[in-house]
Amino acid sequence: MIFVATGTQFPFDRLIRYMDEWAADNAETVFAQLGEGSYLPQNMQWQRFISLDDYNEKIRQASVFISHAGMGNIISARENGTPIIVINRQAALGEHRNDHQAEGLQWMGKLDGVYTVTSQQQLYQQLDQRESLLATDVHSESRLDELVNYVDSFISSWHNT
Amino acid sequence: MQFWKTGKVLAVSSPGGHWVQLNKIANKLENKYPVVYASPCSQYALKKNQQRIVHNIFDVSADNKYMLLPLAMQMLYLLLKERPQTILSTGAAPGVVAVMLGKLLGIKTIWVDSIANVQQLSRSGRMIKRHADVVITQWESLSDGKTVLHQGSVL
Repeated sequence: MIFVATGTQFPFDRLIRYMDEWAADNAETVFAQLGEGSYLPQNMQWQRFISLDDYNEKIRQASVFISHAGMGNIISARENGTPIIVINRQAALGEHRNDHQAEGLQWMGKLDGVYTVTSQQQLYQQLDQRESLLATDVHSESRLDELVNYVDSFISSWHNT
Repeated sequence: MQFWKTGKVLAVSSPGGHWVQLNKIANKLENKYPVVYASPCSQYALKKNQQRIVHNIFDVSADNKYMLLPLAMQMLYLLLKERPQTILSTGAAPGVVAVMLGKLLGIKTIWVDSIANVQQLSRSGRMIKRHADVVITQWESLSDGKTVLHQGSVL
């Protein structure tokens, strides 16, 4: 199963259409969370909004998670051990207020288990090789723990003076 | 006997990605220190955990400068009320205001620059670089090992 999510803030019809067209030509089950979008899929299952529990369950079940380039979905993908492909919203197409998601691809692409694409063609290329996409270790928080311990070292040094 | 409460942390940021990153760090500090939060997002922050204190503050960005003064008054009130020994921020404008006030009041300040800033320190990070006690980047390439430090990241 492939899970597609657009977030709750803005619609992302373009991504839904890309995935609906892909689903028409592929046997794999696709489930999409649409938000307020106006494009209604013909070839995949969908809901506008799903509960947080369902959302996490869908990510866990999915072989790959397709998403707008939002930090929340990247964190959820990593926590659930599922590789994620992100595509940026474009301000020129009215998909967001600004183009920070395009800039975001720069740092997102540096993370294990995160694959960045900017077009339908790149998205389909990644989908073709979805079996080989790798996720990060589930619940690997070693980088975060390192940062928290570092912050803590300063607080505790002030604490004791 | 000092005015500021030993070990107490005020974690402050703007909403969205900054808030997500702030929580990643500060939630883990909660088992060691008393932590209170301030962000323009208390409407969704309180639902999950009623024990967590989140102060709602004005949603100000550096683009609407005329709102910085009301935010500063609000922040000053918060600092005197909560009396944190340390301010922790991931940005952006509310963090700048908190760090500058913290410096004036003698509160220790830690700035963790957003992971979204890969090429250079964020605009707000550059503003407080010389004022915060500790400035941390989440990208090794942006660290100079002296004023901008690096160790780990939220992701």
